[in-house]
Amino acid sequence: MEIIIALAVVGLLVLFFIAQYNRLIRLNISVDESFAQIEVQLKRRSDLIPNLVETVKGYAKHEQGTFDAVVTARAKATTASTVADVAAADGMLTQALRGLLAVAEAYPDLKASSNFLSLQEELSTTENKVAFARQFYNDNVRNLNTAVKTIPTSFFAGFAKVSEREFYEVEDPQSRNAPKVTF
Amino acid sequence: MATQDFRAQQSANKGKTYFLLASMGLLTGLVAYAALTYFGAGTSTFMVPLAVGISLIGVWGSYYGSDKLVLKMTGAKVIQREDNPELFNVIEEVVIASGLPMPKVAIVVDSAPNAFATGRDPDHALIAFTTRILEIMDRDELQGVIAHEMSHVGNRDTLVSAVAATTAGAIAILSDFLMRMMWFGGGRRDRDSNANPVLLVLSLVVLILAPIAATLLKSAISRRRESLADATAVSFTRNPAGLRKALEVLAADSTVVHQKSNAVAHIWIESPLDGKAVSKMFSTHPPIQERIATLRAMESLGN
Repeated sequence: MEIIIALAVVGLLVLFFIAQYNRLIRLNISVDESFAQIEVQLKRRSDLIPNLVETVKGYAKHEQGTFDAVVTARAKATTASTVADVAAADGMLTQALRGLLAVAEAYPDLKASSNFLSLQEELSTTENKVAFARQFYNDNVRNLNTAVKTIPTSFFAGFAKVSEREFYEVEDPQSRNAPKVTF
Repeated sequence: MATQDFRAQQSANKGKTYFLLASMGLLTGLVAYAALTYFGAGTSTFMVPLAVGISLIGVWGSYYGSDKLVLKMTGAKVIQREDNPELFNVIEEVVIASGLPMPKVAIVVDSAPNAFATGRDPDHALIAFTTRILEIMDRDELQGVIAHEMSHVGNRDTLVSAVAATTAGAIAILSDFLMRMMWFGGGRRDRDSNANPVLLVLSLVVLILAPIAATLLKSAISRRRESLADATAVSFTRNPAGLRKALEVLAADSTVVHQKSNAVAHIWIESPLDGKAVSKMFSTHPPIQERIATLRAMESLGN
């Protein structure tokens, strides 16, 4: 009888260990997957840019500075690999694109062209997708980091070779500063 | 209650669902016990599993094939990306925010603005929109509605309502059987004379009231899942204003979807039966003004 009880206790403990271990591994994998999703969306945005720049150029030839900013930011974004680098390049490109769309505001013919309208829709949905992919990644990092730091999962973090991960933070001056209100 | 962020809202609504489901289980136990007291072990060991079995078979079929069945019942047509690229763009955004797989998308030709989600699990999910809701809602509002529907998918609400419907169904069938046996079969079959008369009367009361109680619990569970879906939607979009405005549009619109079938009423974002709901307790949705107020409170928290 005692042997059966002892075996049952050991069995339950083993199941508990497995559950904790698997939870950490699963959380770690979802962080990887959600980072891959950010990269997919950034790539999509990057692919839209040449077409967008060409379309705007057709109407607004004298805005070379804005075009250059977009092209440089895009080049930087394609070479980044670590979370921090990708995030920094992403922020720069978001800024540059905002500049490009602001330029477009000044050209009514451009704004009315169907090509530009469909590009604008593509770009805005991709911006949203990038933003949501970031948010989903950060939620996953938050869950993983909580698990790594809290009992009982924290005991297994070393064994599972899972450690805290970096948040995806975009340097965006516009979201840091309070918006200017003009009347 | 009024000043809670979406995380607190989510866990409160989940907790209440568990409590309600547990009450439902307790009620089933109570009915089984009442049957046992009133009819004795011989009859109830046969009747209770039979009632649960019938209910399970009935609900399981509609749960398992919910995506196809609901398409038939509402006349929704599945569409592809080419049919409405902009709608698909907004749906894909929410799908990325939720981390769920891409659902099937369907359109119901109807002059009332409404939407619903169904499917047995996230891999078989279907979300549908009426033609009218796509006409009158802007991008932010539509995003809120889609997030609410994807929340139902993520929270497995088809499963939750199937469990609730199975128990409520079993209780109704059981109570129905036993009442008929009482009228036509002359009451207790294996009468053992030492049964407590007070207990017998109480059992009878339980048998009569249980189906109503089960219906009330089922509606309460449905209302909790709606509130939960609103909170989860905010966790996806972090924009309570979008869903709040969408609900305001729905509240201002007095037209209701043409299929007023009771069977699928609970799946729409705005209940098509609300106009003539007998009372708040039987309604499958919380009052829309209350949902708007909760979202407004979340807006003031800045998330």
